[in-house]
Amino acid sequence: MRGIFSVLVENKDGVLSQISGLFARRGFNIDSLAVGETERHDISSMTIVSTGDNRTIDQIEKQLNKKVDVIKVRRLDETKCIEMEMMLIKVSYNATNRSSLIEICSVMGAKILHVSNKHLLIEIHDSPEVVENFISLVRPFGIVEVQRTGTVAMSKN
Amino acid sequence: MNGAQAMIKCLEAEGIELIFGYPGVAIAPFYDAMYDSSIKHVLTRQEQAAGHAASGYARISRKPAVCVTSSGPGATNIITSLATAYADSIPIIVITGQVNSELLGRDVFQEADMRGATQSFVKYSYLVKNVDDIPRIFKEAFFIANTGRKGPVLIDIPVDVQMKELSKEFKYPDSVDIRGYKPNTKGNPQQMTKVIAAINSAERPLICAGGGVILGNGETTVREFCEKYQIPLVHTMMGIGVMAKAHPMYYGMLGNNGKPYANNAVANCDLLIIVGARVADRAIPRPKNLEKKLTVIHIDIDTAEIGKVLGPTIPLVGDVNNIFRTLIESDIHVDTAQWIRELEAFKKSTVDHRVWSDELVNPMTLVQTLSDKMDDDAIYVADVGQNQLWSADNYVMKHGRYMTTGGMGCMGYSIPAAMGAKFCEPDKQVVAVCGDGSFQMSMYELGTLAVNKIPLKILVMKNRYLGLVREYQHYNYQDRYSGVRLHDYPYYDKIAEAYDMKYFEASDNESMPGIIDEFLASEGSAIMVCNIDSQDITK
Repeated sequence: MRGIFSVLVENKDGVLSQISGLFARRGFNIDSLAVGETERHDISSMTIVSTGDNRTIDQIEKQLNKKVDVIKVRRLDETKCIEMEMMLIKVSYNATNRSSLIEICSVMGAKILHVSNKHLLIEIHDSPEVVENFISLVRPFGIVEVQRTGTVAMSKN
Repeated sequence: MNGAQAMIKCLEAEGIELIFGYPGVAIAPFYDAMYDSSIKHVLTRQEQAAGHAASGYARISRKPAVCVTSSGPGATNIITSLATAYADSIPIIVITGQVNSELLGRDVFQEADMRGATQSFVKYSYLVKNVDDIPRIFKEAFFIANTGRKGPVLIDIPVDVQMKELSKEFKYPDSVDIRGYKPNTKGNPQQMTKVIAAINSAERPLICAGGGVILGNGETTVREFCEKYQIPLVHTMMGIGVMAKAHPMYYGMLGNNGKPYANNAVANCDLLIIVGARVADRAIPRPKNLEKKLTVIHIDIDTAEIGKVLGPTIPLVGDVNNIFRTLIESDIHVDTAQWIRELEAFKKSTVDHRVWSDELVNPMTLVQTLSDKMDDDAIYVADVGQNQLWSADNYVMKHGRYMTTGGMGCMGYSIPAAMGAKFCEPDKQVVAVCGDGSFQMSMYELGTLAVNKIPLKILVMKNRYLGLVREYQHYNYQDRYSGVRLHDYPYYDKIAEAYDMKYFEASDNESMPGIIDEFLASEGSAIMVCNIDSQDITK
């Protein structure tokens, strides 16, 4: 199963390494990790997406809670939260396939940020599934580079 | 006042009277400030021993103890004792000097990234960057180490921060406020109701007590609970000391190295109340089997331990004293007379089929005789290896303390830890029991004992091998004994003489009890070597 954790942590040095170290040491997966400051400078928010059996996801929550620098852990329900991710992707094109690539972008709501004579630099922000889907759609054109922010999530309530 | 003086003030405010350590340039300002303080410093012969000594001191005083090292290799030497304390949840404060903060990260002489290196072996760690943070950090460190699930806290402090003047007047905080750390000590009332109902409907209840009961100072309360409701008790290796061997509710140590009648009790109970235990692999090798057939109540101060290995039917987070006090005062009626008769019958029918050599000292008889002859409130510190398993198996628990390192199984623990215990309780009898392997891992500490005139008694079970590994090779590698032979060295009598210690030696079962009498009664520190057949095994 998938576990989505929204974690509030102290915004100080070494905290990210403590959290990632915890996952590494206990053999938990990190599918994605996004960190940023909240409206308060002294608190950061992390969205961590992991997969594992029930007991593993349970343990992740408990082990996160045990960390002194972790202020709050919330496990988000996939069906009751919004997940978003942003991706920058550089895709090759040629004269014959350029218009179909532009068409995919337009259908998928992706934005072309830069055009060079060989590549398009495209931005898409959407749910992780859509981002994945976009990658598979443009793969045949030739992907040069991908940068993803990782998932950020928030419960609807 | 500079940072180093503030550090001393903090330790004084915490009531610290003694610290174990090893100085160096990066911690020199602290040592200079200590010169004017009433805090006694014990110079160990290696940093790891300072950590183990602090662990022994903390376990006996039941409060955090402090050890201190310099930077680089001095600091990395203490990591093993940090890991050992972490695995056994022992509250120690480890202060390490660090290179000048402006040079951090440049790989200068004797720089080691201690926060990074110890991340998985500490409950929490600090790198002090601002001298004015010292009072708050020390207050928090002691609080974190000694509350919730206890454990070691590291304070890494650059030498320039120690030398810097505080910009405001020193004030030791009265309280701490860490927003991410609020340990829960009271059992959830709803869960308590479920626990009480489960006990009421049980026919064959059993308590499994771990080291957490001792760490939570809950021995008396748990015993009172067992007595009131006539519920039998087994324990883990770290739980030795929760109940005396002679207690009618006592059914021994469970697990791979435990008593068959303890494991029989676990296999046949219908309700297992695990308290302050991790359900570690050596204690409960096949947790899945248990899960299926009985009701498990798992009580621990650490939420994360519950469900980590064993999925309990009823989890209960809280402090052992609070929870068992409530249970004692609750409306519980359980008739265990038949269950106890069954357990008793099995216990009586258990025959030990193990055979020991008649030529030399029988290690089982040795531990029984020694612990029986020791004072009622004596402290027995077992090392790691066959000596530890023979000790755990045969130690006659009365009203003293039994210490060993259960989680990490760190060889060389007994001598420094026993030394720490003796510093804490100078009037109590303290005996360190080790093998010839573990003795040699810590024998440099005889220097510390000699200088400080610490009358510690050290018993060495000598079989000229790393016995437990040899035993493992016997069972699993068809007697291909690889890299386990220690031979006859050292000459223990000469070692004893070199450090002004008395020397005793026993080589047969007949003379052994008398020699133990002399050994225990001797003035000052002493080594007693017991020659054991290398063929003798634990299982």
